[in-house]
Formats: sequence, C-alpha cells, structure tokens
Amino acid sequence: MQILFLLIPLGVVLMAAAGALLVWAIRSGQYEDLDSVAGRMPDDDPR
Amino acid sequence: MSASALQWQVYDRPELRDSISAPAGAGQREVLLGLDGMHCAACVARVERLLAPHADQVQVNLAGRTVQFRFAPEVEPLSSLLALLDAEGYTPRVLAQDAQLNGDRRGAREQLARIGVAVLCAMQVMMLAWPTYGSDAANIDPAVLQLLRWTQWLFATPCVIYGGWPFLAGAARALRARRVDMDVPIAVSILIAYLVSAWRVLAGEGELYFDSATMFVMLLSGARFLEGRSRATAAGHLRRLVGMRKLTATRVGEGGDQTVPLAQVALGDVLKVAPGEAVPVDGALLDLAAELDEALLSGEAKPVLHRRHERLLAGSVNVGAAPLRLRAEALGSQTWLAQITAVLQRAERERPPFQQALDRVAGVFSLLILLLAAATAAVWWSHDHEHALSAALAVLVASCPCALSLAGPLAFAAGSGRLARRGVLVARPRSLGRLADVDTVVFDKTGTLTRAQPVVEHVEVLGSETAERCLAIAAALERELTHPLAQAFRRYEQNLPAREVRSAPGRGVAGLVEGRRYWIGAADGLSAGAGEAAATLLALRDERHTLARFALQAQPRPEAAAAVAALRRQGIDVRLLTGDADAPAQALARLVGITEVHARMRPEDKLEHVRQLQAQGRVVMAVGDGINDAPLLAGADVACAMPQGAALAQARADLLLVDESLRALAEAPTLARGIRRRVLQNIGWALLYNVAVLPLAMAGALAPWMAALGMSASSLIVVLNALRLPRREEKG
Repeated sequence: MQILFLLIPLGVVLMAAAGALLVWAIRSGQYEDLDSVAGRMPDDDPR
Repeated sequence: MSASALQWQVYDRPELRDSISAPAGAGQREVLLGLDGMHCAACVARVERLLAPHADQVQVNLAGRTVQFRFAPEVEPLSSLLALLDAEGYTPRVLAQDAQLNGDRRGAREQLARIGVAVLCAMQVMMLAWPTYGSDAANIDPAVLQLLRWTQWLFATPCVIYGGWPFLAGAARALRARRVDMDVPIAVSILIAYLVSAWRVLAGEGELYFDSATMFVMLLSGARFLEGRSRATAAGHLRRLVGMRKLTATRVGEGGDQTVPLAQVALGDVLKVAPGEAVPVDGALLDLAAELDEALLSGEAKPVLHRRHERLLAGSVNVGAAPLRLRAEALGSQTWLAQITAVLQRAERERPPFQQALDRVAGVFSLLILLLAAATAAVWWSHDHEHALSAALAVLVASCPCALSLAGPLAFAAGSGRLARRGVLVARPRSLGRLADVDTVVFDKTGTLTRAQPVVEHVEVLGSETAERCLAIAAALERELTHPLAQAFRRYEQNLPAREVRSAPGRGVAGLVEGRRYWIGAADGLSAGAGEAAATLLALRDERHTLARFALQAQPRPEAAAAVAALRRQGIDVRLLTGDADAPAQALARLVGITEVHARMRPEDKLEHVRQLQAQGRVVMAVGDGINDAPLLAGADVACAMPQGAALAQARADLLLVDESLRALAEAPTLARGIRRRVLQNIGWALLYNVAVLPLAMAGALAPWMAALGMSASSLIVVLNALRLPRREEKG
C-alpha cells in the first residue's frame, strides 16, 4: 500500500488543477449563455 | 464623420457614462446593449467578429438579443462601436442599466464557482472517508490511515471556507443584527464539525466529521443555487423592460438642435421630438396640435390628439408627420417611466406575507434547534463524551429548517418565472396567493380583448369609383403615416403615386394621387355610437364629392376566444364591463364567447359591480388597460394591467401583461393553484421530516453524516418538487 503515498498526493494535485480550471472557466463567464452556442452549429462561416 | 456616428456620440458624454456602462478595471468599461436585427447563429458570429478588433470579452446572447463587451473609452469611444454595429444593420439599443445588474451577474458566477469547488472537494472527502466507515478500518495500515485523515482535512478546507462562505457570512450578519435565522444553525454545525475534526487530525485519533460538513455545504449550496436561478429568470425579464428608458433628448437652443443626455434636461427646456420618436420627459405641448400614440400609457394604440399646453407623457410616441416641441415639466423620478421602474423594483424586493411568516417561524425554529442541540449534548455528556458531540451535531444538521424556508420562495419563483416567459409579469408576488382563488374575471373595456390595429370592415361607395379604387387611393394617401388607422389600409395598396401628402392632426390627410386632389378624414356626424368598439368612420373625398365611406372596426385578438374558453373551463365566470354602446360590446362578446356583458358603464358603475360580486363572496380579477380603470383595478382582488400600463403609476397592478398574452393570462389561475399546492406540500414535507428526525437525532441514533444526507435530501426534494411545476405544465 506504499503506492498510496504517491497516488494520493498526485490526486490532490490533479484535483487542485481541475478546481482551478473550473473556477477560471466560471469566472470568465463561459457558463453564462449556454443557448446560443447550440445555435451556432449550423453556422458554416466560423471564425 | 458620418451622420450615423454623430447620432451615437451623445453616449460618450460623461453624464451618461455611468448609467450605461460600468468600470471593469484597467481603464476599460463594460457595457450591455440590446441588439435589434440579430436573428440567427450566423448573426452571433458576425457581431462577434465585428467587435473583436475593438472590444474585449464580447458575449452575444441570442436568446436575450443582447451583447456585452468591454471597451477602452480612451482608445475608442463607445459611439464609434455603436456606429459600427448600426452600419452593419444591427441597431444597438443602449440600455439604462443599474449597477445591480452587473453586480448580480458577478455574484451568480461567484456562486457557481463556490458550488463547483464544494462539489469537487466534497466528493474527494467522501472517497477518502469511505475506507474508515466499515469494520475493516482496524486493518488499515496506521500510516495510510493518517494520510487519509490529513488529506480529508486538506480537501475539506476549501469546501468549508470558500464553498460555505455564504452560510458563514450570512450567520455572522444575522448574529450582528441580533437575530437567529437558518444560516446560524447551518454555520454552527459546519464549523463545529470542521473544527472538531481538524483538532482530531492534529491529535491523530478520534472520529472525523469532514464528510458530514462537506456534504452539507455541497447539497445546501446546490439547493440555494437552484432557488436563485429561478428568481433571476423573472428578474432579468423585468430588467430588460425597465432598461428601455430613453436616455437622450433633442434640445432646441439658440445654436440649433442639440442631442443631450436626459440628465441634462432642465425644467422649462424646449425639446423636439421627431416623428416616430418617443417623448423623453413629461411636458407641455408647444405646437398647436399633435398626435401621439400612448399605447405604452393607456394600452390603446389609437392616436390621441393633444392641443397646445396639454401635458404629454414620457414614453408616448409622436405619430404625426411633423416634429413636435414640448416644454419639459417633469423630470427623472417624476415621469411615469421612472414610476414603472419603481413598481417593478419593489416587486423584486417584496416577499409575500405568507413567506415572511414562514421565515419568522424558521427563525424561531433555528433558535429552538440550537437549544435542543445544547441540551442533547449536556444530557449525553455524563454518559459518553464522544457520543454527546455526535448526537448534538446530528440534531443541528438533521433538523435545520432549510426545507421550510425554501418551500415558499422556490415555488413562487418557479411560478413567476414561467408566467414571465409567457408575458405575464408578476408585479406583486403577494397577488399569487389571491390569484389561486379567483373565480370571476372581469374584462374592463373592449380594448383588453381587441387588437390595436383596426381593419376595414365595410366600404360604402357613394361616388362613381369602385370600392377597390377608393381603397387604393386611401392606401396611397395613408402610405407614409404611422397612425394605426392608416395601417388598416396597407393591404389595399396598389402603389398609386401620391404627392404633396399633408396631414393635419385631427383633420385627416390631403394629397395628390395620380394628379387629382383627394382628402381622407373623419366622416362628420356619422360616427355610429360612441366608444372604441364602435366602427370608426372615415370618408374619402375628391374636390367635389364624397367618394366612399370606410367603416373601420377593431378586431378581437386572435387568442381572446381561446383564453375566455380556457378560463371558463376552470369554472371561472368571465364578464365584460364596458363603457361602450351596447351593440358593439355585444358583438365583440359574441365573438370571443363572453355571455355576460354590461355595456355603457361608467367607472363608478364598474367598481360597484365588482363590489357586489365580492359581497357574494367571489374573488375577482380585473383586467384593465388604462388610467380610467384605476378605481376598478384598485377595487378588484387581483388587478391585471394590459400592455405595459401606465396606470401603474397611478393605479394598482398585481400582474402586467407585456406581450399579446391573453392566453397566458388564462393559465395564470391554474398555475397559481399549482404553486399553492406545491408550497403546502413542501411545508408539509419539511415539517414531517423535521418532527420525525429530531427524536432520532436526540436519542443519538443518527450519525452526523446520515443527518446531513437526510437534511439535504429533504431540501432537494422540496426544490425538485417546486421546479417540477413549470416543467410538467409546459409539456401539456
């Protein structure tokens, strides 16, 4: 079970990264308007 | 610089700056614009591409027809961006926004981030706590066990501190104000569970409660988020309506006309309103006569003729052919638009009395729980220290009255959100309770059932021309006018050339059609009956004879009959009380399916009629549309004002119908009953749960994590039960 001493800290680091990413995404407003993104699909002239 | 750019320049003025944009740091400002002409996803991309080189963080919302972006006023003024959009065919609408709007948006993001962190961390804690639940905990290598315990602490900390901050801050606020609300037991239990566990991690032994604390935070903030969201949906709709205020005015001065921010207009200033524009402030007319569409004020799109020195109200539209001038008489908060704003803002703040009572109960209940938890701990202390703590925590967590205080607001918010999507704004939440009991609906005025634009119902040919020819001539004459009566002729257009068309307010239109002079206007002395449902008679003349008479008739709204039928299916008595003559009122009533008609009623008579109905024990909803209806609206149990009613400023309006939404109105009583049923179910459930679980917790039969699960599940059931309401009925 010694591997847990590596895996758990690794999990902590990964979670910290995931959490930071999530907070960044939310704060930059990516979850604000989820509707018009769906409507963009038929747009054949993407940027 | 083009004329278009000049037109937008006024929005660069410092006086306007703060009412349309907010500072966003680094010399930038953030602005939210309404955008007309944006219909599809391709438009979204185009707008984004258009703005990308000039602005940051462009966010286009297709559903709301808005665009939000940050710009640097020092580098590129807002006006040039507005002109850019305008030139591409997207007419920007500068919305007057209050700081609250931006505050709310930022707040919502932060709330979501807190939930995200709470969920992530709570799941990690749960996973790490799992091995210690079973009986094999003794077999775990002590070093690994220590690792698990420390890691739990590590994950629990952001969850409790960051995720749980709203509860901690709320409790601190409540205690500072010397009250106890439901945040207090929540915060106390979270903190006790967290601090005791932290201390035990340091000590290296003893049971941990990180799992309970984090799960509690996660589930509770989820429930609150759902509540806040349904509330925000309704509020957003109101805001857009309020945001449509006019922000500038054209001031007539010695140096010519000048577009100035509204805030700069002083009492006594002379302002000019171009044809088709809205009057910016209340004021006295300086021209001889002018025609104004006061639909926003009275609900009637019939142009009203105003004479010199009469008061024009802000928001009415100049439908005459010439610009009009007025002297400003009421500014800012004194105009009716400002009053509408105040009404809507009050509605957002107001909580139904029922809800206030529930909150007080929850407060008392919270205090009771704190005392009970202390008592439980004291009783158990003499037997078993460890168990005393766990039992007290279980009491605190299990019996938190969250479900009780979520019960009402959620159901109300879900209900008003659904109504708002259909075009019925709940201006007073307290009216929803009454609405459930409504058994009589009184339509006051035929105008509430008819469409604003009349149609030509009958042509009486008096001269040598054919009916088609007469209609075509009329259409040519009325072509350039924005008058609702003029629009009745649109469909008879044969593209005859018209020249020298002149309209004189109240006296009709004259002009040359194919070289001959014609005149169209009110047919004198022939107006059949009084009142708005009666046909309006117009006469077409050439230089010598009257060629034809047109009878224009208001049309019932297409959904009126269905709405009346839907109300009757609910067992609601529908009546029409009107000041109109008997015959047209009866005709209209037949068309929409109302059997009980009372015509030729003065406002006092209508009020008396409603009083009599109420004396019979009926609950009456009145649907009215204008200032004349004020007494009736005030007398009814539920007052519903038609299009954006100005009556608001003077009268009572519990519900506002924004669009052509009679159908939604018919659904309102059903929905209100649904809401009430949900609220009662929710309260019943919450009470039952608390009463059942409290003895168990006090007896020490519940572990804190079980209590947290039970309590949160109970809250979630309440939330989902409330949200079920709009979803289920939307399908049907």
